[in-house]
Amino acid sequence: MSVRQARWLLFLALALTVPTPMLLVFDALVPPIRYVILAAASLAVALAEGAAGPVPGIILLMAGHAVLYLLLAWLVAWLAARLLRGLTPARRRTAVLGAVGALLFFSLAFALYHTPFGRAPTGNLLGVLT
Amino acid sequence: MRTYRAGALLAALFIACALPGSANAFERTETRVPCAHSEPLRRPFFGDTHVHTAFSFDAWGQGTLARPRDAYRFAQGEAIGIQPYDAAGKPGGHIQLRRPLDYAVVTDHSDLFGETQICQTPGLPGYSSLVCRVVRRFPKLGYMLVNGAIYSSEHPKRYSFCGPGGVRCLDAGRGPWQEIQDAAEAAYDRSAACSFTSFVGYEWTAMPGGRNIHRNVIFRNEVVQDYPTTYIETPTQEGLWHALESQCLDAPGRCDVIAIPHNSNVSAGRMFTTTRPDGGPITAADARTRARLETLVEVTQHKGDSECRPGAQDELCDYETLPYPIMMDMATGNRPAKLPPLIYAREVLTEGLVQQRRLGVNPFKFGLIGATDTHLAAPGKVDEDQHQGHAAGTVDARFGVPPFPDRPDFNPGGLGVLWAEENSRDALFAAMRRREAYGTSGPRMTLRFFGGWDYPAGLCSDPDFVAKGYAGGVPMGGDLPHSGQRAAPRFATFALRDPGGNGSPSTPLQRVQIVKGWADARGGHERVFEVAGNPENGASVDLASCQLRGKGFDRLCSVWGDPDFDPEAPAFYYARVVEDPSCRWNTYVCNRAAVDCSDPGSVPHAMRACCDPAVPKTIQERAWSSPIWYTPPHSQPEETTP
Repeated sequence: MSVRQARWLLFLALALTVPTPMLLVFDALVPPIRYVILAAASLAVALAEGAAGPVPGIILLMAGHAVLYLLLAWLVAWLAARLLRGLTPARRRTAVLGAVGALLFFSLAFALYHTPFGRAPTGNLLGVLT
Repeated sequence: MRTYRAGALLAALFIACALPGSANAFERTETRVPCAHSEPLRRPFFGDTHVHTAFSFDAWGQGTLARPRDAYRFAQGEAIGIQPYDAAGKPGGHIQLRRPLDYAVVTDHSDLFGETQICQTPGLPGYSSLVCRVVRRFPKLGYMLVNGAIYSSEHPKRYSFCGPGGVRCLDAGRGPWQEIQDAAEAAYDRSAACSFTSFVGYEWTAMPGGRNIHRNVIFRNEVVQDYPTTYIETPTQEGLWHALESQCLDAPGRCDVIAIPHNSNVSAGRMFTTTRPDGGPITAADARTRARLETLVEVTQHKGDSECRPGAQDELCDYETLPYPIMMDMATGNRPAKLPPLIYAREVLTEGLVQQRRLGVNPFKFGLIGATDTHLAAPGKVDEDQHQGHAAGTVDARFGVPPFPDRPDFNPGGLGVLWAEENSRDALFAAMRRREAYGTSGPRMTLRFFGGWDYPAGLCSDPDFVAKGYAGGVPMGGDLPHSGQRAAPRFATFALRDPGGNGSPSTPLQRVQIVKGWADARGGHERVFEVAGNPENGASVDLASCQLRGKGFDRLCSVWGDPDFDPEAPAFYYARVVEDPSCRWNTYVCNRAAVDCSDPGSVPHAMRACCDPAVPKTIQERAWSSPIWYTPPHSQPEETTP
């Protein structure tokens, strides 16, 4: 596994699983990908129906969180990949897949997330994304 | 025996004739079996005028599937299901009132009747629209987007899936509107038993710029508007009044109607305005229109109390106060140091006197009631120890009852109590119109309040207290008659503790107060008088068990004269009855969950409010009578009701 592949894989895993707090407004702890989905859905409605009242603010809120946490995820993935640069590709692969597996395991096994936007106040990864 | 009966009949006739307006105590507009039991001196009927079901966009978005018929079943004591529902539609739990209500009004948000119907009904045109998809997939986001784009917009418009002119949604809204009427009719007891009354109603849901100016519209009988007025088509309160006047009060074969404002506490001052939409001051005609339609105001409900301004001289105003001027601020965290003017009923009542001096008409001549604003189709679900939230206006999704079931600054809501001869639509509506009503924060205490000029000091021990109260003056909601140069008005107040029953708590009374507001050349003023009971009675509550400690009163009575009466100053007076302290809903929740605040690490995230010192642990439940007004002889009040 190349360093670049490691970086991307770690970034995707972090974006998909790491609980991140919603700042300022809601009491939420969701993976960054959730903000991306919510921002996209809000933007789609605004483009189709217009953005009256506080709708632009809602889009900015979601998009802002998405950008912030994706950048942080990218930074963490970049740093981790740099640390793994000294390993052989095979060992790097093992380390990266292990980390990704651990992230997925914890995000699926435990109700790490709580969200005002899901169908339950707390949930695991599947719960928060469905 | 015959002589006795004749004497009793004459006495009853005398008392009945002594009642203000008793020759036509209430106009009968319905064809129905007369009630077997009618009480000329009136009885208190407990109910809820603010109820949402699955026909309200936000309630449905929070997972509520109960419909108006379910709400009325619940009000009458039956159990209903609540969310979360499984794939087969089986509810995740059931709720039931300990004590049925006497009346209820389903007041779903009229504005999005059609959209709500379309988005939840596969096969209807528009069901697969982007908005409906987002709302179904992301209910809370959908709620925010729709709420923001429509209710909070100054210029709301319908979504494109509603078709040109919104016709598709308006048409789709006719089904729910008819079902609301049918449910009210089915629930209304037209038999001689007169056991339950339902009214047809809806909520006009305006929140321009996030400032709440909602009104619950309630019809007297089955004659109602062809289609409810909506914020989208009629985006001003003046427009709502015009619609209700032109389609009801002033129309041939008219419907009769009132509108009840609620949550002025989050109106940012826009609900009780003293200016017209064009910026000029309101006119006497404007004031007359408002007073004609808005005879009651919801002083307390799930989303906070609207009686009086916290931090004023009255320490009891610091009660179920929301610290933000608009609902959106509960999410943004904006907590201004000073809340806007004219957002609390008391200061608005005082402003009404100021306006009356200017216009000759009091625009803010309203009585006070309480309600729940339940979005679980659960009217009257007010017991603190059973609070499960009302799924209204919260930022958290509601697809189950969360461990901490509500925002800590919300509460179970209150009840509206109507003094009426019988439990029929005509009798109850007449009580709402003449403002012979009071609100409670939930308990069912009984409160009588009379104003007159000659009540004797010994009236409280008189077995004919009520008859003499009516005969010697006016009940709550009324205008003091001419004084005839007498010194100062006297007020007779009688309060009975909620008897509880069937598991409902019964807390002793602590005190009765009379709140006075008046206006003179310097503006409006207010003062609170202690008239019965003992505010220093030492009563408290054990927070661990919620057991009451100390003694209160089963009943309190007072005849009080205003020591500061100024015959030249218009004034109002209302009574406030306060219970001993008891546990607030969050204390029951935290105790049940055995939260240990001494070990912060053990407190689950969801229960952290249990250990927040800013969240009150106790409450002093209360009741507020409608005011009695005094108007100086040279400017006697106009009759503003139809």
